Amino acid sequence: MNTLISITCAAITLAGSTIAMAGDIPSHPRELEFEALDFVPPSAGEFRHELSNGVPVYMAPSNEFPLVQIRFSFKGGGYLEPADKAGLSAMTGQMIRTGGSSLMGPSELDEEFDFLAADVSVGVGATSASARVDTLTSNLDRTFELFMDMLRNPRFDEGRLETLRGQAFEGLKARDDNGLTIALREFNYLMWGEEHHESRQPTRESLESITVDDLRAFHEKIFHPGNLMIAVTGDFEEQEMLAFLEEQLSGWDSQPEAPDAPAPTHAFEPGVYYYEKDQPQVQVLVGHRSLTRDDPNAIEADVMNQILGGSGFTSRITNSVRTREGLAYTAGSFMQTRVDYPGIFASYFFTKTPTTALATRLVFDEFDRIQMEPVTTDELETIQNNLIETFPRNFESKGAMLGIFMNDERTDRPEGYWQSYRDKVRAVTPEMVQKAANEYLHPDDAVILVVGPWEEIKKGNADSEADPNRVSTMDEFFGGNATQIPTRDPESLKPIEE
Amino acid sequence: MRVKQAVTLAASTALATIAGTAGAQNVQPIEYTLDNGMKFLLMPRDEQPNIITAGWITPAGSANERPGITGISHMLEHLLFKGTDSIGTSDSDQDDAYRDQLTEIREKMREYTLDVQYARMYDGEIANPWDPANDTDELRAMRAEMTALQDKQAEITIKNEFDSIYTGNGASGMNAGTGNDFTVYYINIPSNKLELWSWMESDRLLDPSFRELDAERFVVIEERRQRLEATATGKLDEQFDSMFWVASPYNWPVIGWMSDLMAYTEDEIKEYFETHYQPANLTGVIVGDFEVDEAKQLVDSYFGRIPNKRPKAAPLVTHSVPLLGELRFSGECDCQDQVEVRYRSVPFGHPDEAVFDIIADLMNGRTGRLYKSLIEEDEIAAQASAGNRAMRYAGMFSFNGLPKGDADLADLEAAWYEELDKLKTELVSERELQKVKNQKAADNFRGLQDNSSLFFQLAITEAYGGYDYLNEYPQRIAAVTPEDIQRVAQEYFEEHERAVSYYTRRGGGEVELLTIEDVRASLPEEMAGMMIPQIEAELANLQQETDADALRSQIEEMNSQSGMVPPQFATAMEYIKQQIQVRIDEIESGDAEGTEGGDQ
Repeated sequence: MNTLISITCAAITLAGSTIAMAGDIPSHPRELEFEALDFVPPSAGEFRHELSNGVPVYMAPSNEFPLVQIRFSFKGGGYLEPADKAGLSAMTGQMIRTGGSSLMGPSELDEEFDFLAADVSVGVGATSASARVDTLTSNLDRTFELFMDMLRNPRFDEGRLETLRGQAFEGLKARDDNGLTIALREFNYLMWGEEHHESRQPTRESLESITVDDLRAFHEKIFHPGNLMIAVTGDFEEQEMLAFLEEQLSGWDSQPEAPDAPAPTHAFEPGVYYYEKDQPQVQVLVGHRSLTRDDPNAIEADVMNQILGGSGFTSRITNSVRTREGLAYTAGSFMQTRVDYPGIFASYFFTKTPTTALATRLVFDEFDRIQMEPVTTDELETIQNNLIETFPRNFESKGAMLGIFMNDERTDRPEGYWQSYRDKVRAVTPEMVQKAANEYLHPDDAVILVVGPWEEIKKGNADSEADPNRVSTMDEFFGGNATQIPTRDPESLKPIEE
Repeated sequence: MRVKQAVTLAASTALATIAGTAGAQNVQPIEYTLDNGMKFLLMPRDEQPNIITAGWITPAGSANERPGITGISHMLEHLLFKGTDSIGTSDSDQDDAYRDQLTEIREKMREYTLDVQYARMYDGEIANPWDPANDTDELRAMRAEMTALQDKQAEITIKNEFDSIYTGNGASGMNAGTGNDFTVYYINIPSNKLELWSWMESDRLLDPSFRELDAERFVVIEERRQRLEATATGKLDEQFDSMFWVASPYNWPVIGWMSDLMAYTEDEIKEYFETHYQPANLTGVIVGDFEVDEAKQLVDSYFGRIPNKRPKAAPLVTHSVPLLGELRFSGECDCQDQVEVRYRSVPFGHPDEAVFDIIADLMNGRTGRLYKSLIEEDEIAAQASAGNRAMRYAGMFSFNGLPKGDADLADLEAAWYEELDKLKTELVSERELQKVKNQKAADNFRGLQDNSSLFFQLAITEAYGGYDYLNEYPQRIAAVTPEDIQRVAQEYFEEHERAVSYYTRRGGGEVELLTIEDVRASLPEEMAGMMIPQIEAELANLQQETDADALRSQIEEMNSQSGMVPPQFATAMEYIKQQIQVRIDEIESGDAEGTEGGDQ
């Protein structure tokens, strides 16, 4: 506050131009002082209610706009698909939304929702499903009645199924058109195996086999109160909303809760892998499996990754590959966790063909450095301050906040996690970061995946590099050995036989 | 409840009139103009506590460039994150010295390239004069000298300090965007960091260093590859755009042509900066949880100190000219087959803009006309959509479609013209029009809910001529009549004033070969058992044949009889013809060994 007042007093206005006194504006922003911001993370209990059938309802009203949003979140997803029906989960979500209901045929229902200007969506992901309605408060009754009928009694119209299937077939043809799509698919295959729900992809065959009976059976597994949580935001009154939901959900039969998602059993072979594609820029992923969300060292591991490549321009990989050497527009790393099994760590960058090896070398240099030397206190404090100061953003919108609460309840997040988060971040030391780097980074046991023209990638940048110290070839990694991933037929994803 | 004062909305409960009254949206930021002419729009709201979205915009983008410096707006945007004398270096005097030396070597390399390397290109000796792989020894030596200098400068450079100061202070989402008509810089900051924002942004406007220009040039080139050259349709899109815009400065890509990216000089960048980044050209926008009086004091002190060194930038001279004929473009890429039909529409704020937007909405969505006719009824499209894009100085309206199954691009193009005919000859029903208006009214609300979305709407409409259009536009939408739609359809969608593009899959002409299993599946069960072995025996004989012409006449004979073949045998016939063709190809490519599997 002090800074502000002194500026106000010292600003002198001369005819036509404002001049700030030289002494008022510090020469570097580190000299600025800021008022402390109070922020206490909200606790879920204050927002949680329960219907008589046991369904949790989280509510956070605000009356700025005459709109209300109701979101249903169901446990269950792609992992419940039969092995030969990849794509059934996503198709079920789309068909609930587009296939009509007991009251109306598909076009009629779409017309009704559109005329009401209601935004209604249904989606089934790998581990959870959601159904949302966002409508003008004045239209809530009518919209929600149609929404509930659609959700409980979907018609699964045959014509709409064929339309969707036809669109999906056209989409399959494009699966090898984009290098990044290929890179992510193949990296996931390497990490999880081809049959796990994290990586599984629909094929023409699996989509062809999906019947209305499959949709019905899958709908029954997921869309019932036993898997359900509800979040409501926007313009409403809490007690009225609870009574409204109680009434609207009455008579909806429950089933036992869906089982947890299975852990993968696949083990990958470290090394260099390449997927042939004729393109002027190469997509590269370097990584391996990481750790679980509730791992006792998860916060140190996250801080380590932020310094390494996870915090944009401030991180080392971006600094080295992009800013200093100009080799990529996109370069960094991510450390993903999963609740029930370790997630994935990877560094990623896209660079022109000849500099693939040089950029890969720079990334490995950064792995090495963060394992061998403690990070500087400057770097550490920057990341700590960032995590602490951006912490309120997690709860910024009411929708995001309720999303966190629902997810925490479903996945049994340890009590007090958000309350103690900032203290734990503050307690991280350079030694802890180094320890995490050694525990959770495994450069020798990583996969390097490149998508591009391999012969040119392999030979490196000798033709174009003026500085001998920057000349690099792919022979630097894993003794020059590399495994070709056979090009796949985009529709079946089976290797194309040459 | 200051929020209520800032954004007022009225919605009716009666359905049919939603659009009529929801049009009363009223976004009223506080306007505050500094003595140097920099304008601020202040929009306090407390729905999201502790958070501010702040930024500023210049109404200059790629349209303000010229050949030779295309993409310079975007390059400058990158360089404005490279610091100042105060930010980004530990020794600004030494840094100045290095920058001068780098400028000297850069100019030498440019001069040499434009002279020697361009001559080699025009002589057909090399394809790309800027590719380091084509360096002469002389140029390679200059490049080595530059690399050595950059390495020395790096020792006193504090890399990305501009970003790390913000990061360490809890800012997030720092970025900037360059468009055809504007460049905008924005960030989310905690509520107590408005002074930090004022410091950082006014500092870079006062005294940008353009440090690390040479490395950043390559970053931008990688960005160009990532966004355009390594995407399925990017390179073709760029040329189709260029053809469509003819004289307009929209005819080059925002990111710039590759040759120009390699060539910018520091002087050109400075010149562009000084022309378009004077405070009198800029608007600052602050949305979120803050006190208005504090904000006014801060921007006065910090942004108020930036002088105007030049008069306000001159308006654009070259405007677009109408299309005088139908333009057609076809290209191949690693992409799905797709068609676009594109027309000139109108600039942002033109009285017909709202009509074009309504027409696009009538076409789109699952209750839109394109889904009903092209996707559901005729089953010729996997995707079909329409869109209107009103830019500052001109607009375009497009139809885009992806065919499904056996349908081809011409089928989709023809179907689009039928839709247009309907618009031209039949008035849209009140109910259909009301549905679209209702959706637009609700979406207008939704677009105001989030700070950053409100920020962009304010900044961009202000750069295009005045934020008040945010309040006027919904009223214009509400006023659109069926007759307006018919008039606009008749007036603008002309056969001789359109551009059509066909993209087809590279190598997509190859026929997918049938297999013996396809044949088995196509035959009635009782026949398959008998016919399959026969077909296999005939194909085995085929391997002994070495006379390609004899085989060719066999195919001709089959073609001439095709009308007499019962439909259930069609697949089998096609299969046999394909196999004969495969054999012909083997014989003619010299792979024929007279046995199976001739290619080793």
